Amino acid sequence: MFSMWKFVQYPLCRQGKRTFHTSPTLNAFWERDDKGGYRNLDNMPPLKDRLREGLHELKNEIKLWTQEVKERFEDDPILIFRPGEVDVKWRFGNEESLKNWNITSDSDNKEGFSKASLTLTEQGKALFSGNLSMRVPKDGRVKRSGYCSMKTHRARKSFKRDGHLDWTAYNMLVMKVRGDGRSYLLNIHCKGYYDLTWNDMYHYVLFTRGGPYWQVARIPFSKFFFGSKGRVQDMQRQVQLDRVASFGITAGERYGGDFALEIDYIGLEFDPNHREEFAYEMYRTDSYIAST
Amino acid sequence: MFLKKILRYGSVISRCKQISINNNCPRSFQLSANRYEEQKDKKSLVLKDTFENIQNKNKNSYLEMVKIFVSRDHIYRRGHVEFIYSALKNMEEFGVNKDLEVYKALLDILPKGKFIPQNMIQAEFMHYPKQQQCAIDLLEQMEDNGVMPDIEMESLLLNIYGKRGYPLRKYWRMMYWMPKFKNLSPWPVPDPLPKDTFDLAKYAIERISSVDVNSVVSVYQTVDIPDSIDDTWIVSAQSKIQRRLLSEHKIEKPIFVEGAFRIWIKGNPINYFVLRGDPKPVLLEDKDPDDVSDLKVSLFNIKPPTAKHVKVIPSVHEQEDGVIFSVCATGTSSKDSLLSWIRHLEKDGYPNLGKVPVVFKLKSVSREIANLETETEEENKKIEET
Repeated sequence: MFSMWKFVQYPLCRQGKRTFHTSPTLNAFWERDDKGGYRNLDNMPPLKDRLREGLHELKNEIKLWTQEVKERFEDDPILIFRPGEVDVKWRFGNEESLKNWNITSDSDNKEGFSKASLTLTEQGKALFSGNLSMRVPKDGRVKRSGYCSMKTHRARKSFKRDGHLDWTAYNMLVMKVRGDGRSYLLNIHCKGYYDLTWNDMYHYVLFTRGGPYWQVARIPFSKFFFGSKGRVQDMQRQVQLDRVASFGITAGERYGGDFALEIDYIGLEFDPNHREEFAYEMYRTDSYIAST
Repeated sequence: MFLKKILRYGSVISRCKQISINNNCPRSFQLSANRYEEQKDKKSLVLKDTFENIQNKNKNSYLEMVKIFVSRDHIYRRGHVEFIYSALKNMEEFGVNKDLEVYKALLDILPKGKFIPQNMIQAEFMHYPKQQQCAIDLLEQMEDNGVMPDIEMESLLLNIYGKRGYPLRKYWRMMYWMPKFKNLSPWPVPDPLPKDTFDLAKYAIERISSVDVNSVVSVYQTVDIPDSIDDTWIVSAQSKIQRRLLSEHKIEKPIFVEGAFRIWIKGNPINYFVLRGDPKPVLLEDKDPDDVSDLKVSLFNIKPPTAKHVKVIPSVHEQEDGVIFSVCATGTSSKDSLLSWIRHLEKDGYPNLGKVPVVFKLKSVSREIANLETETEEENKKIEET
């Protein structure tokens, strides 16, 4: 039903392009694209190549699917809470471990001049580094710029179906990092089915000490606050840990210059002593004041 | 509308009267064209370059500009939005971008009561949208600069936009979230930050050495070393454990002075150096603790049980990539000042340090310079294209 709407609406909008707009269009009611208009179709290979590549993919997908079916019968989900044990979700150490991550910066979308990369260090750790530039391109459209981000690929099932990571057995995020004194933003993307929930994200700050010492940051999930498209939302709620689509780290401090964040691993932990469910009080506001 | 007209007429009439009184000529008739010519110079709506033209840029001159704008016209003040936007743009040059008083003065320009919606439809569809957006942008700039509004700001916004105004909602959001994040950092620094590099270096070294509670930050002067060329300060940190590790270090093995690495203190880059030794060999025992195939039953064991090995937990300074003996920042970041640092450490209780081969592995932070060049190149290219 939902995808049908897309096709119905699309030609209508096309017609609207011919008319003269005096004010910018407000797409407040529905989202056309889950990438928010940043989908780059310029470097798309021709259809023939794509078909061939798709067939190659099929082999792996069937493999993945058989694995899933086997798991369905063989394995039971882990329901035991193991206090104090860190389950490493992403450990870096080889080139393969870097492939799961997507590196973006504002220069990719021609909205700034920041650059970022994810590389391996001599010790075999991941190094998320680059240059943050606050310089705003003079195109009259972009107001502010300066961000670099690394993000995992979206969790998926076989045949490129959307999947979710289930982190309900944990209540802490554990990261072993070595930073440069800057603070970074941690993002837990909980993308849902409807366009309203496409940009649901939960954020928290990762403060790094800087210097030659490694630090283990333990951040409870209860501290994460709800935001959408970079704006903190009025109606807060705790992270939906059963619907995690991807995880990301953003360097977006409002100070330009180089940044470097070394990462050993990113893991999860269950700490029974942490009883807090949600760190932010949820006041009742007058009607029609919040979330408008 | 009618009231407006009366008001307008009223002012014109009263002015005509004044002029006629001044001219002492009761019969002179005032033409609208003459009036227009007269008023043209006075009422310029264009506010471009007003802030740029000021020579002495400080808070007083900034507030003076706001005062001039306010006092120019009391009844038909116009161009508030344009004025506020141009004022916001020039804040940094006047050094007032972190000053709450200035933001309040800017907001006070807007008329009270005029923009308050009178009915439900007005309230729903953002009454006076440009004026509301202007105030939202002002609040956003405050947020970006880390300026927390106060209770007076709320009453200002309430008087200007009413209870249902979007700027007031923005204010409430700010007052909810900003105090939550204001003191979140585990390594707080004073606000405003001191401009002196020495103080910043001290914060940086204190921050790095916070990893060990026993760390002691000491300040040395290079002048105290007889052969030194530079005259500068050295901020160095060392803890009890590091002292022990350094004294345990074998004389034959080299020690490295590495740097310059960078640490950021609220947007200020500070270079620091590390005194590092080779990493201690890690003894890995490939023994599976869950393996029960090789259990020794003590009943049949003739030999006495072997003593269990006690493994010393490595300190935080013994890392995978080396043992860190000390961290420092110097005023010049030069090789000579680092040599003075080593001499100071030697004087401070490690006479053996003179015998240990010290290798300087220094690198300059060259990336920044390269970037600057490319940026200017890009600029030039763009100018040429246009």
